Amino acid sequence: MKRLLILAVIAMLTACASNKTVVSMQFPGTPDELKTACPDLATVDPTTQKLSDALEVVTANYNQYYLCKDKVDNWLDWYNTQQKIYNSVK
Amino acid sequence: MFAWLIEHILSNLPSWLWPVVAGAGATTYFLARIVDTFPTIKPYAFFVKPVSFAVMLVGVFMYGGAGITAIYQAQINEMQAKMAAAQTASTDANGNLHTKIVTKTKVIHDVQVVIKERIKEVEKKIDADCKLDPEATKILNDAAKNPLGATK
Repeated sequence: MKRLLILAVIAMLTACASNKTVVSMQFPGTPDELKTACPDLATVDPTTQKLSDALEVVTANYNQYYLCKDKVDNWLDWYNTQQKIYNSVK
Repeated sequence: MFAWLIEHILSNLPSWLWPVVAGAGATTYFLARIVDTFPTIKPYAFFVKPVSFAVMLVGVFMYGGAGITAIYQAQINEMQAKMAAAQTASTDANGNLHTKIVTKTKVIHDVQVVIKERIKEVEKKIDADCKLDPEATKILNDAAKNPLGATK
């Protein structure tokens, strides 16, 4: 009787060890606007002698910088938010 | 495929089945002595004990497995509910970020449009007073070039 009980407990514990489960979390998506790389800066036409042409290119590059800065800021925002959400799942 | 089939069948069996199987096995095991008293079925008594014992063991084993599976399943359900909530929060956060990006990009573009208009307004004056030296253009373009190579 005693042996029978010991055997029954061992059998139950063996069943515990044979279980395996997989639960995985999907990688969070990103807005499409963040998926494009920042372009290179524009250059001035080497043949031009007009200062206004150079000014236009320089100001366009400044503008490009702010667009790119905004993209980096948004990536940081995305990362921090998604990290908070991910860490909340425990 | 075979493992999946077995798993599918086992997961669909009711949880009360295994204690019933174990109980039936144990009962048969202890009642095996009675079989000895009936001369007609006495030759089978030899098999009844080991078979009922094996049935009881299988029942106990499966009951243990079913119990722990139920605990795991509850944990899985809890985790899946949390993950679903997290995915909704993630999608909402991305939606908010998208709106923010669109608004900010428009502001930056609008500023650029105003700057371009201002350049056009004073274009003639600027070009009349100052002529751009090709060396200055070259320096400006060299500075604008990406030192790490072109963006892919």
